[in-house]
Amino acid sequence: MSQVAALTPRERIARLFHRQPMDRMPFFSGQGMVTLPAIQSLGLRFPQIHLSAEAMAAAATATVERYGFDAAVVPYDMCTVPEALGLRASFYEDASDVLYPTIPAKWGSPEEVTVPPDILERGRLPVVSQAIGLLREGPGADRAIGTWLLGPFTLAGQLVELDVLLKLTMKDRPRVERLLDRLTELIIHIGRAYQGMGVDYISLREMGTGADILSPRVFRELVQPYLRRILDSWQPPRVLHICGATDPIVDYLQECGAEALSVDHKNDLAESRRRVGDSTLLFGNLDVYRLLGQATVAEVGSKVRESAAAGADAVWPGCDIWPELKEENLFALAEAVKGLPFVAERGAH
Amino acid sequence: MTQQKQAILDRLKQGVIDYDEEAVKEAAQEALEEGVDAYEAIMDGLSAGMGVVGDLYEKKEYFVPELLMSADAMYVGLDVLRPHIKEGSRGERKGQVVIGTVQGDVHDVGKNLIKIMFEVAGFTVHDLGRDVPLEKFVEEQMKTDADIVAISAMMTTTMMGMQKAVEMIRQRNPNVAIMLGGAPVTQEVASLFGADGYAESAGNAVQEALKMLKNLREMRKP
Repeated sequence: MSQVAALTPRERIARLFHRQPMDRMPFFSGQGMVTLPAIQSLGLRFPQIHLSAEAMAAAATATVERYGFDAAVVPYDMCTVPEALGLRASFYEDASDVLYPTIPAKWGSPEEVTVPPDILERGRLPVVSQAIGLLREGPGADRAIGTWLLGPFTLAGQLVELDVLLKLTMKDRPRVERLLDRLTELIIHIGRAYQGMGVDYISLREMGTGADILSPRVFRELVQPYLRRILDSWQPPRVLHICGATDPIVDYLQECGAEALSVDHKNDLAESRRRVGDSTLLFGNLDVYRLLGQATVAEVGSKVRESAAAGADAVWPGCDIWPELKEENLFALAEAVKGLPFVAERGAH
Repeated sequence: MTQQKQAILDRLKQGVIDYDEEAVKEAAQEALEEGVDAYEAIMDGLSAGMGVVGDLYEKKEYFVPELLMSADAMYVGLDVLRPHIKEGSRGERKGQVVIGTVQGDVHDVGKNLIKIMFEVAGFTVHDLGRDVPLEKFVEEQMKTDADIVAISAMMTTTMMGMQKAVEMIRQRNPNVAIMLGGAPVTQEVASLFGADGYAESAGNAVQEALKMLKNLREMRKP
């Protein structure tokens, strides 16, 4: 393998998606990636980082700088779009524990969901847009910027009571399809806007559709067409993330057309690599909770090398990083990355 | 058992498996008309059907939508049969359970499935709902003197609250049995958090609860 001169994080991420040689394996995420020590170093509390563009961008930057991630990722919570559509979010501003925002009361039926034309101006979507702008223009422009949106089915589960939605997939599927249709257009619209603001990659997170929730057949018939439509409408680079049981649907995921698939620790990465071949990048399967919350520092390095050997193209957490992690483990993760070469025979086409 | 009674129990069971609410309602009404004991109809008809549904989920023939549809069919049958349960026919109550989804988590599909399994197995269930502040689990357990506290979390980002809840409950009452469940929870996590039991699915939750209760009662023996 020829030596590649040291790259900036942004160059490294661009080269990864373009299948060009790199100096080392990238270390980044497409899910929530912020830690409590980074937030506290700014004198902020967890609920504050969701509420203002300055705090959101500062927390992302502080996390990147503290651990050496290649990319800053915003936002952190799943309520930005539901709020923009008119639902109220809880931010647990008085809680002493780390609690992500939630939507306490959802709509009772799909027909209640309506999409206003000025969606990007509503709720906290302007906060996310401004945070992307601050990250793009602010200091540290050599790191990449990532963002993400929920896939239409998972988003639907944030808007309509999940049991209602899941039962409708069997009782009256056209009602679900009509909702997914509307949400698909909405997700395309917001994603394009974020891309226009200069993000370096975008993740589509459809985590509510793994094979432990929906059958592979329902995934293919009901979920996959919308994921394809969204990914077709966005510019590369695009990542498709699903957590939970993904082994039975990995072929369907690949057919969705993203440059990269992101999976969690329940995925047999070596088998997924065998099935998707070398044409799709594979990220993840690091067990965030085990690795960053429980493992010893020594285990962290070996797990990262295991994941790379199984076929991962990046060191990429399989889920949101838990903000109250054992910080020494995340430092160990960052250290382990330095020894990981880019797998040239797989990536450089 | 007469053939007719067995046929009614089979229809109740099959109706739950086929998530056929109408068939379950008809069979439940017929059970009452034919003098089938309501508690027996629940246990050997509806509950038996839900047991098969749990097995089908384990075998990946059924998924969460099917579980929910079967649970609905079961509730239709319960609504018809429950008012007719004769005093004393249900035998000894198995125990009391406080159940809820941990604070920060508004997903309650799994919790509701576990709840129905406890109900049909003869437990008294105190459902705290979802997004439940941790101290509420402690308070409700103390108030009801429940044998079991069952806590659910759907996301990795909310799972960590469970550990604190276990500590808080233990501090106030070391002898209560605590069961954890939900998508990100594994046996390893449950043990690590200091729980006594782990509900891998709705199917095994009740078995696990009965095992925990047995241990608990052994422990309480003078």
